[in-house]
Amino acid sequence: MSTQTFFSLNEEKSLNPIISARGLWKSFPGVVALKDVSLDVLPGEIHAILGENGAGKSTLLKILYGIYVPDKGDLFFGGRKVVVTSPQDAVRNGLVLVSQVPQLIDSLTVAENLSLSLSQFGYVSSVRKVSKFLLEKGREYGVRVDPDIEVWKLSYTQKQLVEVLRALLLNAKVIAFDEATTLLPHAEKEKLYDFMKLFKSKGGSVLLVTHKIPEAVEVSDRITVLRRGEVVGTVRTSETTLDQVRYMMFGERLTQLNSGKYEKLGEKGSEVLVVRDLWVRSDYGVYAVKGVSFSVRKGEILGIAGVAGNGQLELIQALAGLRKSERGSIRLRINGNEIDVTNKGSTAIRRLGIGYIPDEPVKKGVSLDNSIEENIAVHPRLTRFLIRWGDVKSLATDLVREFSIVTPSTNTKAKVLSGGNLMKVLVARELTVSKVALVAYNPTRGLDEVSTRYVRRLIVSKAVSEGMCAVVASEDLDEIMEISDVIAVMNSGSFVGVFKSGVSREEVERVMVS
Amino acid sequence: MRLIVVKRVKTSNLYYVGIPVLSILAGLALSTLIFASIGVPPDLFISEILAGFQSPQTLRYFALLVILGVALTMSFRASIWNIGAEGQMIWGMLAGGYIALFVAAQSMYVSPSDLPNYANVPGVEIIDASPVKPVISVLLMDPSLGKLLMVLFGMLAGGLWALIPAVLKAYLDIDEVASTLILNYVAYQLFNHLVSYNLRGLSVQARQFFRTDRMNSALLFNLISGTSVTVQEVLMAVIFFVSVVLMYRYTAVGLRLKIIGSNPQLLRSVGVDERRYILLAMFLSGMLAGAAGVSILANPGIGKLEKIANVVSPPTMNLGYTAILVSWLSMLDLRFVPIYAYIVASLFQGSSLLQSEINSLFPELSLTGAALTYIPIGSILVVYVILRIFTEYSVRIMR
Repeated sequence: MSTQTFFSLNEEKSLNPIISARGLWKSFPGVVALKDVSLDVLPGEIHAILGENGAGKSTLLKILYGIYVPDKGDLFFGGRKVVVTSPQDAVRNGLVLVSQVPQLIDSLTVAENLSLSLSQFGYVSSVRKVSKFLLEKGREYGVRVDPDIEVWKLSYTQKQLVEVLRALLLNAKVIAFDEATTLLPHAEKEKLYDFMKLFKSKGGSVLLVTHKIPEAVEVSDRITVLRRGEVVGTVRTSETTLDQVRYMMFGERLTQLNSGKYEKLGEKGSEVLVVRDLWVRSDYGVYAVKGVSFSVRKGEILGIAGVAGNGQLELIQALAGLRKSERGSIRLRINGNEIDVTNKGSTAIRRLGIGYIPDEPVKKGVSLDNSIEENIAVHPRLTRFLIRWGDVKSLATDLVREFSIVTPSTNTKAKVLSGGNLMKVLVARELTVSKVALVAYNPTRGLDEVSTRYVRRLIVSKAVSEGMCAVVASEDLDEIMEISDVIAVMNSGSFVGVFKSGVSREEVERVMVS
Repeated sequence: MRLIVVKRVKTSNLYYVGIPVLSILAGLALSTLIFASIGVPPDLFISEILAGFQSPQTLRYFALLVILGVALTMSFRASIWNIGAEGQMIWGMLAGGYIALFVAAQSMYVSPSDLPNYANVPGVEIIDASPVKPVISVLLMDPSLGKLLMVLFGMLAGGLWALIPAVLKAYLDIDEVASTLILNYVAYQLFNHLVSYNLRGLSVQARQFFRTDRMNSALLFNLISGTSVTVQEVLMAVIFFVSVVLMYRYTAVGLRLKIIGSNPQLLRSVGVDERRYILLAMFLSGMLAGAAGVSILANPGIGKLEKIANVVSPPTMNLGYTAILVSWLSMLDLRFVPIYAYIVASLFQGSSLLQSEINSLFPELSLTGAALTYIPIGSILVVYVILRIFTEYSVRIMR
């Protein structure tokens, strides 16, 4: 297994695409996901596939990787027409996928995991050999991961790097990143970009699927833009501008992006959410939140910044009633009544008018086998014992229109929707129930630019016009800076800095990593 | 050219009806072959199975299978694989039997000389006219109330028994397929113990064999003439079916029971404790199975509890397992439960008709009990499990 083989191959047919898709069509009930899509990936290029949520990026990638079979159209790998019906087929043809969610088994070591996935793809290799290979490749590409460490001890970035090493191990000619960099902090992204460039220089190709325009422009050689299942065009990155790409991606809707700052109220109301000396344990039994105290006023947004894994998730879960508070108190002041909701159970808390956007929203916040209406009606604040389906339907219809959710009907099963539209269903439902407060963790993760702006604007305007208060933790510092009235930086379970909005980004970042 | 298997995004409606029907036909063809191979002529097999579809006795299995089919579908839709309807029925019988024999009525010895005096007393029934120690049963309450209590306590007992695996699953993550199945055999053993000791009757027959006394006939359910099905059984089937359908359609509880089967994490994230719904799904399922148990006991053809001599033929007639077939053929869609309950009931009845025919025509084959009844049912299930793949996947030819 060496990269030698495809050096010569590249030189021979440098103009022939390494992967070529011709006239792909794919439809799901009620939705045509891909309409006559063609794509060429050349050897030695970083090719970005750009599009907003539901544009068909994932569907295209899943077809290339053998997860979906197209209704029509052909695939060529290395100029040869092939039928790809499983990831194994795709890997045999030289395409390896690195997904957003690392596909690794936590209790095994890195080398064990990789040895296992090799056997899954029909290669046999001992753990010892894999370890040796890992160290070699790691040096070659500057990716350092201890082969004998258990995966659960790794950070998210490190897990992604393990996935990358797996691709090398599988002798990939093309590595596809499916939004794999979306969740990474900026500094960590650079590591992956460096890797991509190095891989390219050694003759490999990269397929970068993303909805972030800056990312596509920063690293790619060519960009293919998808909109509503169709290819808008493929451009050379060096010959294009950010604005041109934005226009290709959003078309006329671009104007929605450029409508200035959020309206903010200067004066905030009385305290609504009061947290005193809160202690919460993580899944591993150690304290993840160590004596946090804060209060949020009516109409105020508290943004919690910090490097992932510093207790933000546990704090948010405790506020939503999903994690036990060991010490301290959480109180709500609604209409002059003070209610102690510490460990009061999540149904009771939710019924008081608290919305919650969970981490891993698509996994935890929606049910794919149920309709949009059912996904809305399930909320205890929206339905009591009897469900009035008429009301649910009109609410669902309103939300679909308001959030421009792309769906054939409100009765459609959620699994037909794209990831971004699923997220919109969830955010729409939770904002509807957030009469008093919204508690959110990464509320716009995975959303495209238009939807992201839209969700942030909604949170802010709901705070301003209806006096909702919000506690939003996000790994995206830009998001925190943009919407918060007060920014708290969390580090090792405590608030290490609290700033008013208007603080400089550098100042916040400095506290985050100190 | 290559054959490829593709996962369907949407379950095909055609297959929704086609697969169960095809399974039944192919399963019957398969069992014809099996019977032919052991020397049973195919025409006899077919004529007896067809007779099953017209037999008035079929109605009884039909009503029971509707109740049990609804019970199992409720838990299956919640992705809780309740294989324990048998045990839940057994507990229904025990609780119903306890009410019938000790609460709503009471057996007692009387002096042989007094016996004639009791012959015409209302609410008193002579259940053993033995010249040495005659036994009478005295009604202690209004028989309608007694029957109602039997059903309610039977349901409660079935539901509580089902809560054992539910708690194990919800709080300790113990697989319910294994635990519900094992608990069936535990229930059989406990049944034998209770029937042989605690509930054992006073009459001569009860003392000779391990069984209870006969129930006071005022507490037996009322047969619909010309059949072996009771009015109460039919009523229960209708009430349970309609109320469960309505529950799924119009209540938050029903919606959550459905969602727990597809994504329990969603329940947790909107603030609903999903573990309670696991308990609820099993409790409701067990309650209905318990009611089915009571109605088997209270059928005038039964009216007593007897020690199970052989676990392959318990008093539940293995209907708790047979109902799994009903639920699966219905594709877990309640609307289809009555249809497939009727078909499976007919096959069940047809098989028992076939069995008695075979025993009289071909005694040398010496085929017994469950084995015979379950050849058609098992064959259909096997074919179904294979064909079911096509509702989730389609096969295409790629060139």
